[in-house]
Amino acid sequence: MSKFKKNDEKGAPAINTSSLPDIVFMLLFFFMVATTTKEIDPLVRVNAAQGSGVTDLTPFKQRSEVDFVYLGEPMKGDASKFEKGIAVQYDGILHPDGINHIGKWKLDKFKDKPAELTAPKENIITCFKADEKVPMGMIFTARGILQDLDFNSIAYSAQEMGNKTEYSIREQ
Amino acid sequence: MAKREVPEINAGSMADIAFLLLIFFLVTTTMDKDTAYLRTIPKKVETQQPQSPVQEKNIYKIAINSKQVIQARDSIIKPEDISTLNSKIKHFYLVNRDKKVNRNIDYPYYAFGSIELYQNNLNAQNNRLGALESQEVIDEKTEKMIEQALGAIEQWSEKLEMMKLYAQFSGKKEMPEIAFEAHIRLESFIDTDYSAYVAVQSEVQKAVTELRDKEAEELFGMSYTAMNRTYQQRITEDTPELRTFKKHMELIETLFPLKLIEVKPKR
Repeated sequence: MSKFKKNDEKGAPAINTSSLPDIVFMLLFFFMVATTTKEIDPLVRVNAAQGSGVTDLTPFKQRSEVDFVYLGEPMKGDASKFEKGIAVQYDGILHPDGINHIGKWKLDKFKDKPAELTAPKENIITCFKADEKVPMGMIFTARGILQDLDFNSIAYSAQEMGNKTEYSIREQ
Repeated sequence: MAKREVPEINAGSMADIAFLLLIFFLVTTTMDKDTAYLRTIPKKVETQQPQSPVQEKNIYKIAINSKQVIQARDSIIKPEDISTLNSKIKHFYLVNRDKKVNRNIDYPYYAFGSIELYQNNLNAQNNRLGALESQEVIDEKTEKMIEQALGAIEQWSEKLEMMKLYAQFSGKKEMPEIAFEAHIRLESFIDTDYSAYVAVQSEVQKAVTELRDKEAEELFGMSYTAMNRTYQQRITEDTPELRTFKKHMELIETLFPLKLIEVKPKR
């Protein structure tokens, strides 16, 4: 009986946690490698369209040869203020002129970069990150403006759908 | 003297620091990659010359209406059946390939180039250039013609290079080339959903990429997608390996060109 009593008094031995930092560092390095930094906080809701055979834009981003335009319903505020309820986000702002502002925005961006860093005008990609429901008319308005300014490369953003065969298209 | 023992550093807070860093990275980064379909807008044209109409057989017309119903040539495709577009587009490219007789008159014809043909064309242009330059008076008109001849020489020598590459890897003497005018014409309405438009883009891209992959696999033993990925990641380097990749990719792109005309919606 006395044996058991002794053990009770000792308490549980401490767990060795010296390898915990190693495990956490491993996780940390995994996330550092597998993720990319967020460009900006989105102000519009974008449900990405899906497609297969898409091109990865990471190499273009590393060379900063791509500008993103976000189109979708605004997250805050009244959607009806905007044309067709779709707000257009340039860098950090929702511009009241909507898609018609794209020309000025592109030109400003192009001028701001130092001359030795800029790629030729026609190589800078304008990527449309549009919500599923965005009407194509808006994108074509933007295309017209970009064509007049000789920004000839564009990209339609889409998410790789992998092995799925069904596209998510709104039924009407 | 007895050696003093180095006191052990307490590493208990290391885990906390690592967790902090980990959480910082979790918050500021995203998992999803930016992926997109790259397209080019045609350069704006100054002159308003009436262009000669393209023959019906060279156009593959796809129209998407505001209810996301698709019309590809004469067939109507419901939104849930979009994936049938893939085989239809492949058919458009392949139906007359390698055919010199019994061609389907509704689809683009193929031309067959050979080293001799391109060499002859190149020689003809060179002779023309020589004749033009040896003229005594070089007026504006002649200058224009010289410019034209120089352009043509460049084009034909590029083609000759490609033909040689094709002959070297395929062992064939003739290279099938789809009609220059053949293209896919994508029409949409103002109210067409972005998702439907992208789905059609996806099908077009998939069909052409699959054709290219197959051809590249046969010729070079490496898929077009793999070559393109390597090339894009290391585009700033200038190594002999990359240059051969570029040449191979150009050949594949001439064999299966992706000509997509996106028409501005009218309604």
